[in-house]
Amino acid sequence: MKRMVLVFAALLVLFAGLLPASAQTKLKVWYAVSGDSGEAFKAMLEKYDAMTEDVTIEYSYSGNYADTATKVSAALISNTAPDVALMAAGPLYTGARNDYFIETKINDPDFMKDDIYPGVWDYAKYNGRICAIPYGISTPVMFYNKTILEKAGISMKNPPKTWTEFYQIAKTAQAKGNISGSSDFWGFDVTDVAWLFKTMLYQNGNPIIKVNGAKVAPAFSDEKAIEVAAFWKKLTDEKIMAIGQHANAEKKFLSGNLAFLVASSTRVSRWAKDPTLQFGAIPMPYFQKPSVALGGNVLVIFGKDQKTREAAWKLVKYLASKENQTSYALKTGYLPIRKSGLTLPEAKEAISTNQMYAVAFDQLDISWSYWHFEQMGTMDQILAKIIDIIERNVQDPKTALNKAAAELQAEIDG
Amino acid sequence: MKAKLHKRYIGTSVFLIMSSAVMFFPFIWMFLSAFKTPRDVYSYPPKWIPSSFQLTNFYEVFKKIPFIRFYANSIFIAVVQTFLQISISAMGAFALTKLEFPGRKKLYTFMQSSMYVPEVVTMIPLFLLASWAGLVDTYTGLIIPGLTCAFTTILLMSFFQTIPNELIDAAKIDGCGYYRVFLKIILPNSRTAIGTASLFAFLTHWRSYMWPLIITNNVKMRTLPIGLKYLVQETASEYQVLMAASLMAIVPVLIVYMLMEKEFVQSITLTGLKT
Amino acid sequence: MNVSLSKNRTSTHILARDQKRAAVVMVAPLLITLIILFLLPLALVVVMSFTNWSMTTPARNFVGFRNFLFVLNDDRFWKALGNTIFYTVLKLVSDTTLALGIALLLDRKIPFRQFFRIAHFAPVVVPITASSLIWLWFYDPGIGPLNQLLKMLGLPALQWLYSEKTALLSVILFSVWKGLGYNIILFLAGLQSIPESYIEAARIDGASEKQIFFRIKLPLLSPVTSFVIMMSIINCFKVFTEVDVMTPNHGPLESTLLMVSYIYDQSFTRGKMGRGAASALILFVIIFVFTMLQRAFGRKNISYD
Repeated sequence: MKRMVLVFAALLVLFAGLLPASAQTKLKVWYAVSGDSGEAFKAMLEKYDAMTEDVTIEYSYSGNYADTATKVSAALISNTAPDVALMAAGPLYTGARNDYFIETKINDPDFMKDDIYPGVWDYAKYNGRICAIPYGISTPVMFYNKTILEKAGISMKNPPKTWTEFYQIAKTAQAKGNISGSSDFWGFDVTDVAWLFKTMLYQNGNPIIKVNGAKVAPAFSDEKAIEVAAFWKKLTDEKIMAIGQHANAEKKFLSGNLAFLVASSTRVSRWAKDPTLQFGAIPMPYFQKPSVALGGNVLVIFGKDQKTREAAWKLVKYLASKENQTSYALKTGYLPIRKSGLTLPEAKEAISTNQMYAVAFDQLDISWSYWHFEQMGTMDQILAKIIDIIERNVQDPKTALNKAAAELQAEIDG
Repeated sequence: MKAKLHKRYIGTSVFLIMSSAVMFFPFIWMFLSAFKTPRDVYSYPPKWIPSSFQLTNFYEVFKKIPFIRFYANSIFIAVVQTFLQISISAMGAFALTKLEFPGRKKLYTFMQSSMYVPEVVTMIPLFLLASWAGLVDTYTGLIIPGLTCAFTTILLMSFFQTIPNELIDAAKIDGCGYYRVFLKIILPNSRTAIGTASLFAFLTHWRSYMWPLIITNNVKMRTLPIGLKYLVQETASEYQVLMAASLMAIVPVLIVYMLMEKEFVQSITLTGLKT
Repeated sequence: MNVSLSKNRTSTHILARDQKRAAVVMVAPLLITLIILFLLPLALVVVMSFTNWSMTTPARNFVGFRNFLFVLNDDRFWKALGNTIFYTVLKLVSDTTLALGIALLLDRKIPFRQFFRIAHFAPVVVPITASSLIWLWFYDPGIGPLNQLLKMLGLPALQWLYSEKTALLSVILFSVWKGLGYNIILFLAGLQSIPESYIEAARIDGASEKQIFFRIKLPLLSPVTSFVIMMSIINCFKVFTEVDVMTPNHGPLESTLLMVSYIYDQSFTRGKMGRGAASALILFVIIFVFTMLQRAFGRKNISYD
């Protein structure tokens, strides 16, 4: 019996290793989004596959952003890369390899490149040149709990514009708006620390990084940055925001223990679907000028030969069309990247029925991004770390920011 | 005498009830969560008892992902890997403890040092080797790289060395070759050890996520841990479906555990015979 | 590691040749898997460690010992090493004493023994996604049951995972809870292989439980104990998932940054695969040293048949 099993297993293993490959213009597509986003993206791929005769699509979910990056990186070395990938930080895998194929294609008239928000294009650049197509884009949004503000007697008809004004509101909301009776009740928190911090820096006139040709240098330790960090510290010092508990922020907000939350715009579609959640959104408060930092994923083309790349480009154009991209965005909570997308009936309906959508879409006009560079992941990690240090009063903002800049510079120098 | 034993057993039982509760509660929570509604899941602090026991989460699992395919793949791969790994380990452990051969100590050190490298480090080089060998999206590619046998080999060595050499010498005098000694003396006398090693090996293979993710692209080739990730979105707010899937996913491990438990009971009678 | 590799078996020349032949056949599959799955990747890792291999850019230049020097000069590396040693010591103590203690209790013939056993194994079986969710709730400083319990007992609340003073301890507690079942089973298996007759004989002779434990059970358990200690050390140095799932960003002030987190950070988060490879090799050497120390120390306690 045992021997039979062994023989059977060995045969199966041998057989499996000899699976034949097929032969047609096949496009391999990987995507780094799961759940509803994954389903929506897959649906578009299947539709394209059905309507084209000369192209078949082999798609696969390649894990979350980090796992996909690992897979793509390994695949590029071993020459088993996909033809198209929907992933985060895509330009790091094309631009860094001097692959600016997409830049040559975007002038196709039916692609309508000027229809895409300019700030959003920056999110797909490496070294100042376009090497990806922005796709699943999000911005940080300031959400609030209507019930809490009602109890605190705060109206959002004229929302706070600056962070100073916001600070007063959050303080009042925390003092007077406790609807849950819990002692773990807070005025404000944020899920992604580095993202909001970068947003605030840019609002205050700090460019975060300096670019000299191919070289990048940190620029987040000047006076303006210190101002921002000092404000952040005020929020934790005065116990409006909990120290170091940002991972729990969303849970607290959902259970009514947090008045204001900055979270990704992707939450809008999810929370809008649930009628029991009484949430609203206001435009992001600002320091000197309103702006928000972009996040999300992009489409990149790898592809080995010219024929595959052309086919891949056609697929990308289809995915990025006004109808497809906008409806994908509305289903998943990403933002429409095309201005014309907002004129579509489903977008108009979304805006009119849910105020949070209106706020999220409006922010696209003031969105920005720095160009992708090799150490940007490290920079986010370092920023999150020193904010932790500042919140816990281990170092003052000036020392902490200088230390962070030095650490990033060391990474860049390699 | 009996009264003293009785008292001791009460103390033991009380302690074990408490420690079992500590160890067991997440399982209960996972079990209950599989029946919760999405609203239940939002509440923070989390609710223990679902507001209504519903089976929809289980249907959702099958609807959202090709659960059966993932399950079948996982079972096939884990069973084959466990079988191969235990075979390789048992043979190696026998040789390393009971046979003389040159380089035995060096082999042991070499094998032990293979455990000093974490998976995240060997992952990329192994992938490069595997894809060069054309093993992407194949069962061979899924199975072979999981055969890291150092742990089970050393485990079996610890048990094999307690098997008295007199038994082996007696068999040799009777004319048995070393292969028969292996099959007729060593294996039957180490059922507990082999059961334990099989359980641990199975558990490791069953839960493997990173390697199957990196070596497969085709959804038909994928395994359960990857399938579970399909259900997770950026935030884990809606984890009731994930819990239902996880609950179904641990059934084979519990089965293997039960099988192993039987070996424990059996070996009591066998060790009685040894002396 | 206490496998007795000493020569205490009878063999003549002919038997020796038979043994060698049998050994080669028995050992070949093991050796092959070790070479393909360990030696070859390790060779690549060594090569990588001398380059500036990047995950994103196509950089592939030879840089000599620069990666090693960077890692050895990196404060974060030493912090990770310190945290790892702290983790290892505490977990090792629990893996041995606590697991053995519970195994002894589970070995007794009490009713519902099988249920108790599976209950203690449950944490090993429950997927870490589920168990980490519930432990994260337990550790919540505001509404978590642990702090509620402390409040009820009149003790001050703790910050658990959210203070640099307690984060690592909280992670260790979770790890201990999660891994105890493994070692309990190993010790149970070891206890099963002690012949019942030895213990009966000792009881009839009037030995106390304590004497039975120290004179009979413990010595006969020494192969298993050595194994548990060795595996504990190795696995503690390699720990990653438990820490990462409880404290995704290395904890408050990086207090839960451990060795493999550091390696993963270098290789994948920062994309510096060459540096990651170098730190992995340094870890390799460290584990090697510790296990050699354990072997030398263990040699003092020989197992006797």
